[in-house]
Amino acid sequence: MKEGKMIAMLLAGGQGSRLKLLTSDLAKPAVPFGGKYRIIDFPLSNCSNSNIFDVGILTQYKPYQLNSHIGIGSSWDLDRRSGGVRILPPYTNEKGGRWYDGTANAIYENLSFIDELDPEFVLILSGDHIYKMDYSKMLDFHKSKHADVTISVIAVPWDETHRFGILKIDEDSLITEFYEKPKHADSNLASMGIYIFNWSALRKYLVEDEKDPNSSKDFGKDIIPKMNADGKKMVAYQFEGYWKDVGTIKSYWEANMDLLDENNTLNLYDRRWKIYSKNRHLPPHFIACSASVSNSLINEGCQIEGNIKNCVLFNEIHIEKDALVTNSVILSGARVESGASVHNAVIMENVVVKSGTVIGNPDSDHILLVSQNETVES
Amino acid sequence: MKNCLGIINLSESDNNMNLLCHSRPTAMLPFAGRYRLIDFTLSNMVNSGITAIGVYTGNKVRSVMDHLGSGQAWDLDRKINGMFIFTPTYDYNVAFAPKFGDLRHFHQNISFIRYAPQENLLFAKSYMLMNIDYQKAYQEFVDSDADISMIYKRVNDPENRFLGCDKIHLDENGNFESIGTNLGIDESFNLSLEMYFMKKSVYFDLLYNAIEKGTAHYLREAVFSGLDRYKVHTSEFGGSVFCINNVKNYYDANMAILNPEIASELFYKNGLILTKVKDEPSTYYKPQCTVKNAFVANGCQIDGFVENSIIFRGVKIEKGCIVRNSIIMQKTQIGQNAHLNYAILDKRSRVKEGVTLIGDPSSPFVGGKKSMISREALT
Repeated sequence: MKEGKMIAMLLAGGQGSRLKLLTSDLAKPAVPFGGKYRIIDFPLSNCSNSNIFDVGILTQYKPYQLNSHIGIGSSWDLDRRSGGVRILPPYTNEKGGRWYDGTANAIYENLSFIDELDPEFVLILSGDHIYKMDYSKMLDFHKSKHADVTISVIAVPWDETHRFGILKIDEDSLITEFYEKPKHADSNLASMGIYIFNWSALRKYLVEDEKDPNSSKDFGKDIIPKMNADGKKMVAYQFEGYWKDVGTIKSYWEANMDLLDENNTLNLYDRRWKIYSKNRHLPPHFIACSASVSNSLINEGCQIEGNIKNCVLFNEIHIEKDALVTNSVILSGARVESGASVHNAVIMENVVVKSGTVIGNPDSDHILLVSQNETVES
Repeated sequence: MKNCLGIINLSESDNNMNLLCHSRPTAMLPFAGRYRLIDFTLSNMVNSGITAIGVYTGNKVRSVMDHLGSGQAWDLDRKINGMFIFTPTYDYNVAFAPKFGDLRHFHQNISFIRYAPQENLLFAKSYMLMNIDYQKAYQEFVDSDADISMIYKRVNDPENRFLGCDKIHLDENGNFESIGTNLGIDESFNLSLEMYFMKKSVYFDLLYNAIEKGTAHYLREAVFSGLDRYKVHTSEFGGSVFCINNVKNYYDANMAILNPEIASELFYKNGLILTKVKDEPSTYYKPQCTVKNAFVANGCQIDGFVENSIIFRGVKIEKGCIVRNSIIMQKTQIGQNAHLNYAILDKRSRVKEGVTLIGDPSSPFVGGKKSMISREALT
């Protein structure tokens, strides 16, 4: 065992079915976010910025775009002579082919990968969340508590506790109770799905859990409760800052809109904790004489001749003269033609909004998801 | 173009660039919001299929090395071929190289070209800016079996933007006749783009001849003096060309990007222009800003009024500012209520609150790198 060494295992196989059309061609971690990123850029950049250079990415659902995005990991400085980023898809063996069956099973299937790296700690991450976090601080906390497991938690609004796995802790941060999506909670600390395990302990539980026919092979439902029942030391690491699970079209839209608040706590402009992504080498964007731009994020290669307000624009988008776009997220390569207007919408890649079309209602709470062929209401 | 070795020679004049070339060669001049001039030279070669490129840096090495790195941005960090960088060396033992000029530099690194597997050479400079596909000109060079081939553009230049540049004369059949210097007498002429294809044997012949006979110190001179001995071919380039050899031309070339047709030609026509990646987030336009006719790179935060301007990566323009007809380079910050017109501000400058900087279209105000401009400093 390499003392003090931590590797990250990033669960990136999620379908994200509630994101509907957004994930019709790609896995949830590959969903574009914030004008130039994909969701997985956040945990990957966090790893790189936290000096974790061994990252296994577990893929399963529609992995093509995710794989080509990650490449050899050079965008995150994870193309390393030893270690670096590794994509770990399901594979076949002498017993046949198997899909990953639950989060714990996905790690179990890659025991030999982890054994070869021989770490002391394993960090389990999910590729579905948007946040900036220094995992090395969480590891320091884990070590200082001499814990077997550390779970990262965040305080959520009391009226939303029913959506999360809630943990109750004592004054020493020891976890005393778990509630999975409780109706009435007496704690508002939600699990963020980020765990640090002592690898030797986790390895044993993964092997045992695999033999249990009644197990759903899930960290939250099986591994953690079993370790708790055995009296393993479990502590909660309290995270403060921006954290969002973009599970639905509405929350996806909201998370993008959060970036337009000048005081948003994600602060993408912080040079000490940059979020890296694959670069497309596009020229800067052009704002024409006829344009009006207000409270918006605009990325490279865009050509803006119309009016935009409260928008997040990805790259190579053309907003023609006299078009109006408000409160919307527009993905790469889309075009809004002259005279069209778009409100409260997410416009998908390469969609052309024809001249004269009106999409959405500025006074409505509904968010529309628009693809080339269909429009879905959230 | 696998059989062609690209040679980028950065020993270019920077006498007319004012403070902008104080600590960088012309090739490293920031351009169009996110590029350096050399990005165009490199990208043109890479996009045309050249896989081995030698860069002769000239004396101001730091900024060149910082930008080029391992060549990764241009896909030139290769095991086979890739980017080779040659910095000037000083060796007391080398007695017979010329005492000055770029031939000295070429001679000192002669083994690079000698042992490269490619049989043809393409020489290019960075101050002639364009998006060019070399494949057509290269095919003409190969098919004609010429010793040297020069690329030119037929220009109409009533404003003398190409003063002092090389001018190619062709006879009535379109064959090469001679080359000289443009003094601005003819309004339209054939501008040499200072891009030469050359057989390797011809290069060595020119180099040795110039050194042995002492007839030239610069490659350009050596080429000119040898033209009567060789078969010279010419190829015409039809696209837009900008010659960045003084502040005015630099300013005008940047402003030309505000024309979407020119922008689309320069940035897309024969492939994308590649440059060092900075991982900046998107640019944020605050609720009260007004931006008209501007070319804006990523990572900026804009709260003021911006018109007819080029804004580089990571620039902050605060509330109440008026920025017109200006070029604002990387990470510069413009304080509240400042007023800029016809200004070029180099990287990491700070313009303090309420400062007014007014230049002239023919001679823009130039603020050097990291300059701190306050009202007190100006009075």
